[in-house]
Amino acid sequence: MTPGTLISLLLLLVPGIAAIFYFNSIRLATVVAASVDEVLSVLLFWIMPPRGFFFVDHTTDIFVFMITSIYLLSSIYSLRYISNKNATGLKQDTYYLLINLFAVSMLFSAQVNNYGLMWVGIEATTISSALLIMTEKTEESLEATWRYIIIVSAGVTFAFISIILIYYSFGTLTVSTIINSGITNTLFVRVAVSIALIGFGTKIGVFPVHTWLPDAHSEAPSPVSAMFSGVLLPTALYVLYRIFEIDPIKSLFIWFGTASIVAASLFLGYQARYKRMFAYSTMENMNLALIGIATMNPIGIAGALYLLISHSFSKAGAFYSSGNILRSTGTKDVGSVKGLSRRMPFTSAALLMSSLGVSGTPPFGTFFGEILILYAMVLVNAVPQFIIVVIFLVFAFVGINLNVSRMIFGPPGEYREPGRLMPAVALVASMVPLAIGAFFMVVNYAIL
Amino acid sequence: MIYDGIVYLISASILVSAFYIQGQRYIMSMIRGQLVQSILIAAASFLLAYLENSLDLLILGALILILRGILITYMLETRMPRRKSYVFEEGVNVPYLFLVDLVFIVIAVFIIYSIIFSTLVPISQPGNSSTLLFPLLLFFQGIFLITSRRSTYTQIVGYVEEENGLVLLAIFLLPVPIIIEASVFLDVLALVVISSVITVEKSTHERMEELRG
Repeated sequence: MTPGTLISLLLLLVPGIAAIFYFNSIRLATVVAASVDEVLSVLLFWIMPPRGFFFVDHTTDIFVFMITSIYLLSSIYSLRYISNKNATGLKQDTYYLLINLFAVSMLFSAQVNNYGLMWVGIEATTISSALLIMTEKTEESLEATWRYIIIVSAGVTFAFISIILIYYSFGTLTVSTIINSGITNTLFVRVAVSIALIGFGTKIGVFPVHTWLPDAHSEAPSPVSAMFSGVLLPTALYVLYRIFEIDPIKSLFIWFGTASIVAASLFLGYQARYKRMFAYSTMENMNLALIGIATMNPIGIAGALYLLISHSFSKAGAFYSSGNILRSTGTKDVGSVKGLSRRMPFTSAALLMSSLGVSGTPPFGTFFGEILILYAMVLVNAVPQFIIVVIFLVFAFVGINLNVSRMIFGPPGEYREPGRLMPAVALVASMVPLAIGAFFMVVNYAIL
Repeated sequence: MIYDGIVYLISASILVSAFYIQGQRYIMSMIRGQLVQSILIAAASFLLAYLENSLDLLILGALILILRGILITYMLETRMPRRKSYVFEEGVNVPYLFLVDLVFIVIAVFIIYSIIFSTLVPISQPGNSSTLLFPLLLFFQGIFLITSRRSTYTQIVGYVEEENGLVLLAIFLLPVPIIIEASVFLDVLALVVISSVITVEKSTHERMEELRG
């Protein structure tokens, strides 16, 4: 076994080992496992496994790094956010067990070298994460859990037709073999790629099969919402990207992405609840990344990766801040929260930075990602889509930041920070995209 | 030739079971309908295993019988309230749903089939792709059952039916490697287990103000 294969294997085994501590110290074991996985994901950048059971390239590395980072942040945040007192739907230990299994299923989907097993991994993410939504067991969370299970499962099942057609066309499901055989443009492959867009698109948040997304994000506990938004959707997007590589149907993907951005921006504009608003913002960002990938242009793909990694931290910061606000105010209603900046300065700072980050404000990494994607759209002659996307990105920017400003400024309410750990995690997560933006500027300066 | 006839007979029976489930208001009857459907799909797999001398199809048939037929039916039945024969879904207009089903789903499937799937060459019956119509119809029947009903049980049965459609498609077209097929079965089983947790807490699904927009 090569060192690279060992690292990929350990990435899957370590959270599994943490799950063994179910009856004793699983909270601590989860944080330790997530920390070890974070180190392993960094090592994977230099020590990659050879093509075999795993298929890891630098694109995969970025997704693996994103997954382990948000897994670590959510594990730490959960230490204070989740307790047996408020986790009435699940026992605290079961919550941590599922968080670990959720991380394993995402890491498996991202690394495995087989389209069929990728599908199995994506379905496993639904199994491991569904019960996490009903951690607080409200009537709404039960309904959201059910909608998540039935809509996503029905959609992802549709994607299995695409797997069958790929197997029919190539006689194998090995990702590296199929991709190395070059672009294959036959009727069945085109159908397979198109079906994958709708099937996996259900999990990514492609319009009109996105309907589970705002419900699950708004009703799940904040650390789980952060994992959904920050890494679950990108993992599904990664699987779709690997299928898209077989036969890139650019115009179909770009038009679907554009329509989804229009829908997300319109829905986002009239949301009265901040967690739902951030959920629609995720839909908008995921579809912009989908467009970046669909251009199949190196600039567009680089933009999509920049956007995804920056968005994962920004959105995690937004959901952690939302969790702090919810704990302190007891409401998810934008109109009922005012003057946070005076009483909750750290959470306010995190919320402001993360909302600026998710809406693509310079100098956050998301801004540079968006610019690269928009530039790539022009390069591939997707000008009508470019104009539509720009208009609705502005729309989404105004919608998010107006609502967040209303919550932060104004006369102070009777709120206070929920301890130190939760605001600190929110602040750290929301600051990372700034560092990514700075990194981009340094690299850009060095190249030019 | 006689075996072709048997394959068609089993396929048609599977479709009849799908329409039977669609026409039910009693939950217990739907679950039993799903049991019959799974047994028929297992029978199709066993028959093709015999015809093609395929161990994979034999294992697949056994998996369908054990995991879909027995385990899923058992789990759904044990989650039912005690007087289970009386549990039925209220407010379902069966004739209307049948009409919608026939007008939209069946016609749509025939169009999809004639455009795309009619040119596929099934491994089981080279030169005859018409058997692929049955899994497609079953698949969309499952989706229609999920979207047209509000009971948790019915939606689970719809999901299993949708999955059955895919299994049948793989059996007729080209069975995917057994390790993947087995993983798919276990995934579906786990999803049904998790779904059955929800059935205890929430048996029907209505619009909620908090989840609007």
